[in-house]
Amino acid sequence: MIQPFTPEPIRFVAEDGTPVQPLPERYTPEVLRDLHRLMLQAREFDRKLITLLRQGRTTFYAQSSGMEATQVGLARSIRVGHDWVWPYYRDHTLGLAMGVPMAELISQCLGTNSDSCRGRQMPHHFAAQRQNFVSISSSIASQVPPAAGNAMAQKYLGVDEITVCTFGDGATSEGDWHAGMNMAGAAQAPALFVCENNQWAISTSIREQTASETIHIKAKAYGMPGYYVDGNDIIAVMEVCGYAAEQVRSGQGPALVECLTYRVGSHSNADADAEKHYRTREEVDAWLARDPITRLENLLAHLGHPVTAEERAALIAQTHREVDEQVLAAEATGQPDWRIMFEDVYADLPDHLRQQEAFLRAEQTGGRA
Amino acid sequence: MTATQTRPEAAPMTTGRTINLIQAVTEAIAEEMERDQRVVLFGEDVGARGGVFMATAGLQERFGKNRVFDTPLSEASIVGAAVGMAVRGLRPIAEIQFADYMGPGFDQIISQAAKIRYRSAGQFTAPMVIRTPSGGGVKGGHHHSQSPESYYTHTPGLKVVMPSTPYDAKGLLKAALRGEDPVIYFEPKRLYRAAKGEVPDHDYIVKLGEAAIRREGSDLSLIGYGGVMPDLEKAADALAAEGVSVEVIDLRSLVPWDRDRVLTSVQKTGRAVLVSEAPRISNFMGEVAYVIQEQAFDYLTAPVGQVAGFDTPYPYVQDKVYLPGANRIVAACVQALNY
Repeated sequence: MIQPFTPEPIRFVAEDGTPVQPLPERYTPEVLRDLHRLMLQAREFDRKLITLLRQGRTTFYAQSSGMEATQVGLARSIRVGHDWVWPYYRDHTLGLAMGVPMAELISQCLGTNSDSCRGRQMPHHFAAQRQNFVSISSSIASQVPPAAGNAMAQKYLGVDEITVCTFGDGATSEGDWHAGMNMAGAAQAPALFVCENNQWAISTSIREQTASETIHIKAKAYGMPGYYVDGNDIIAVMEVCGYAAEQVRSGQGPALVECLTYRVGSHSNADADAEKHYRTREEVDAWLARDPITRLENLLAHLGHPVTAEERAALIAQTHREVDEQVLAAEATGQPDWRIMFEDVYADLPDHLRQQEAFLRAEQTGGRA
Repeated sequence: MTATQTRPEAAPMTTGRTINLIQAVTEAIAEEMERDQRVVLFGEDVGARGGVFMATAGLQERFGKNRVFDTPLSEASIVGAAVGMAVRGLRPIAEIQFADYMGPGFDQIISQAAKIRYRSAGQFTAPMVIRTPSGGGVKGGHHHSQSPESYYTHTPGLKVVMPSTPYDAKGLLKAALRGEDPVIYFEPKRLYRAAKGEVPDHDYIVKLGEAAIRREGSDLSLIGYGGVMPDLEKAADALAAEGVSVEVIDLRSLVPWDRDRVLTSVQKTGRAVLVSEAPRISNFMGEVAYVIQEQAFDYLTAPVGQVAGFDTPYPYVQDKVYLPGANRIVAACVQALNY
């Protein structure tokens, strides 16, 4: 049993890789190496996508570097393709770990014909039906009430699915967040809310965001348990999220997990020089010392299964190759044409859109309607 | 462009029972809940209380608390939960107690309900109905009397409906619930009990996007929707007494709206007066007026007239003065006829 409302974040592994409490048996070296591979792949994905941004091949990207343990750990705590996920916009590592193909993420970021969302959304706002990974919205916290409704539908249908809803610390200030949390609590819906508290909402710090000491204690107000976890300790994330998910699945009502982590990079390309404007180099360095990938490598070394420099380099090179290949493959499919504007607005094309489509067709074909 | 009218007249009145508009709403919900287990109904006070206007009276008793339930007092929750339920495969009916209260749910309507099909390229969709009483005439003051339909007609991805007869109220709501898109279904609250009419005993729907010709005429097209429709009829009666033949059209559905039926009528009569009770600036009828001048300019013998609410918050005491009554409608028609 894992206790909610702990004063300190729950952790299993110290920064130097020393377990601070016994590790459950399921964390074999093979499992730990798989987690390491996913986290490293996600970090290199970030690096490559920033390069694409600088090359002008995409126009927006929000890194998740530093938050890999939270997102990969959460992905490993649920039943992928069975449970439903209402994510927020920094969740591509969660998507990758849930099995959304890298090709799909890249196609969406490039807005090509291979984008399953057909170039309708700005980069980094994908959706993946096979994984029940619901479309990302830019408006902050607007996914929270629908997630509550998704969970209410699951309860109504009598299925053993749960709904997972993620958000950053900034989202917890929005009315939609409180509305959704309250609704899920009142309905005792099977919803797992996960705050990826990376401590900055663009340039607004968590201390400016709320007078509340932590996010997880807000769960009390909605009648659900609130768990506090070290979001850079992947084993702690998996243990706590896994426990909370099973509690939710067994009909105990919703739960909130706060993963305390850190966004090492900027919010997006819109504030590429974060350290110049709103936070200190010292703060970033202090969090780099708590890096989730290094911590897992330290644990593997502690357990006698170190990741060698060669293995690491090979994995990085492989990820870079894969991204390069997928970028070229996506770009080769070309950009969706103007017709995508009119499709999927409604189930069927209404007359007024039919007329506007005809106008644009004439314009785009030089007057040949 | 020459619009053509090839469809049979909508809303045939045959046999059936005479009920009022709110009974029609209740019947539509009950029959759809009977027909489809996916339909659930919720909102504030819709359960044991049966809604503040009693539109959902008896439904919780009949279908149980799993399918008809009260929610926290939160429009963002009510609308947002409907989106999530629809995405997961239910057919939610979300009741917002008054259209004036939709503000806190606005983000959920425009960011989630309206957009999820488009942004996910159909991977996720939100077929749902938001029902809400709207409009004035019940001494409600500005938080119980507004007509906010234009906010929603301005948002691609939403369908917007407002009936004025029991027949349409029932048929449109059933069609909305069987459709694949999110629908904002405005109920003109002053007609809840005032509008009475026949509805068939058998199952039927009224397709969204088709206007109804309430009476045929040759001198002027008088076009409205929702709570003002009885005033259009009164104005047409008054003008008929003076020998003027007025064609009265009820749009019923604003998105999509029936351009063909409106244009056919205006091409026949050469004059149009548009009536709604919403404030005039950015009023939906401005779009109708634009299309008439764009598509039927050569047929017009007078500028398109408009009777609307004033661009003020809705006044409690001067409620009757604020609303477009038959006299103001007649005056606008006379102006068009004398142009």
